[in-house]
Amino acid sequence: MLKMIPLLALAAAVGFGGGAEAQTTLKAVQDRGALICGVNQGLEGFAIRDDKGQWSGFDVDFCRALAAVIFNDPSKVQYVPLSNSERFDALKNKQIDVLSRNSTWTMGREGDYAVVFAGTTYYDGQAFLVPKSRNVQSALELDGSKVCVQPGTTTEPNFTDFFETNHMKYETVHEAGVPEMIAAYQAGQCNVMTTDESGLFAMRLQLAKPGDSMILPDVISKEPLGPVVRQDDVQWFNIVKWVNFAMINAEELGVSSKTIDDALKSEKPSVKRLVGTEGDFGKPLGLTQDWAARAIRAVGNYAEVFDRNVGANSKLGIPRGLNELWDNGGIQYAPPIR
Amino acid sequence: MKVRASLLLRVAFGAVLAIVAGAGAGAQTPGQDESNVVDQPGYQPTPEEEQLTGAFEKQEVFFRTSEAPGTVVIDTRSRFLYLVQPDNRALRYGIGVGRDGFQWSGLQKISRKQEWPDWRPPPEMIERQPYLPRFMAGGPGNPLGARAMYLGATVYRIHGTNQPQTIGTAVSSGCFRLVNEDVIDLYGRVAVGTKVIIKQAVAL
Repeated sequence: MLKMIPLLALAAAVGFGGGAEAQTTLKAVQDRGALICGVNQGLEGFAIRDDKGQWSGFDVDFCRALAAVIFNDPSKVQYVPLSNSERFDALKNKQIDVLSRNSTWTMGREGDYAVVFAGTTYYDGQAFLVPKSRNVQSALELDGSKVCVQPGTTTEPNFTDFFETNHMKYETVHEAGVPEMIAAYQAGQCNVMTTDESGLFAMRLQLAKPGDSMILPDVISKEPLGPVVRQDDVQWFNIVKWVNFAMINAEELGVSSKTIDDALKSEKPSVKRLVGTEGDFGKPLGLTQDWAARAIRAVGNYAEVFDRNVGANSKLGIPRGLNELWDNGGIQYAPPIR
Repeated sequence: MKVRASLLLRVAFGAVLAIVAGAGAGAQTPGQDESNVVDQPGYQPTPEEEQLTGAFEKQEVFFRTSEAPGTVVIDTRSRFLYLVQPDNRALRYGIGVGRDGFQWSGLQKISRKQEWPDWRPPPEMIERQPYLPRFMAGGPGNPLGARAMYLGATVYRIHGTNQPQTIGTAVSSGCFRLVNEDVIDLYGRVAVGTKVIIKQAVAL
């Protein structure tokens, strides 16, 4: 059941237009009985479809969490695999309700495509993969490197700027695609590969001896990845945004899929507000009181989703790094639920 | 009260709870109960067993903190010990931590360092497990491992282990254990007086 009055008040207060639209995204999703989520066509750790047609991954789990919040059932999602060039048009043309597809939040994209990023689920950034035998600990020790890079991306100017700024010599080895880059690296034609950190971890898995190479902890560019929605529905924007925040807050408060039943009995005010045993924070968004508890039970908190898909418990083994919570060495920080 | 070794071993619950209380231990949180893992004095792990892989292998990681380089931060929830480095970095080591009921948090300083520490099981432990040695000289089969760093005036330490398979688990009585290669490495990098922050998962 949708309460229109607070919605309109909220939309007006925030200053977004179009609050009086007849059909909200939430209503459309509820009437349809499923969320339509735009995802990657296939990216290890983020969105992968198995031989039975089941989707899994970090971005997929975000779709599942949203479905759990709305339907109390994480399986009520229709996945639409989208290419780089299709993704924003698919959102703009209402083919999908939300885009959860390793997309970098930039100002240009919000301006050009009439879309809005609903926060950052994953802080990615350009990094360097090197043979362990080089015995380097820092990207500042890469003087004299031969660097394999894909031309025509922002990756190349990012790395050349970094080397030049830090007075390091380099030789660029252009390789058209990932397989070519890996082949050149393994043949010793270059002794550094550079692209986004998540991509390097996936590439390392494809090396003959993954354990002989390491990814340096330095990140030299900002690639904040997050879910994207249309600009014309502030209620939906808030739902998507707060599902992400709820999962991050859950980790911070120690609420996980394993502890959710204990959390429902907790006397701690911050936990009670999160799981809905105190207050009714879901209502203004058109959600139930237990909206966040539904997502946590079905999909887990932020740490569970990270570890399972891309982190310590996954093939990729990406360290939390920037994606650690703000009070534990990283920058993941969610506003409080109160 | 010289009961240090009791913290590393399974002892009568009441006795340990008294010690924990005496040391000002923090809140308990639900977690994995792996307390069925017992110490194995005399066991000497193979080099393969001592080789950690994946996340628990020693590595340099991104780590933002307002703590000065050289500070040790122990995150018991994720089973990592961080030695803070300059420029948003830390050396990260995999650790084993206190099991349910033996978890604590706080701020301490390294008060003493010991190479190849001896082991003296306390009387209450001998009573429960009469077959244990009364004294075990430091060495490769010693449950305390290659190095020990004492935490303030508490009965807890950062130490090595002869059971590398317990890294990443919660089996100890409040101490923090590293594989011997890692504890030797850490020992060489920290001095007496080093600040140690022990963080516990929040309670629900």
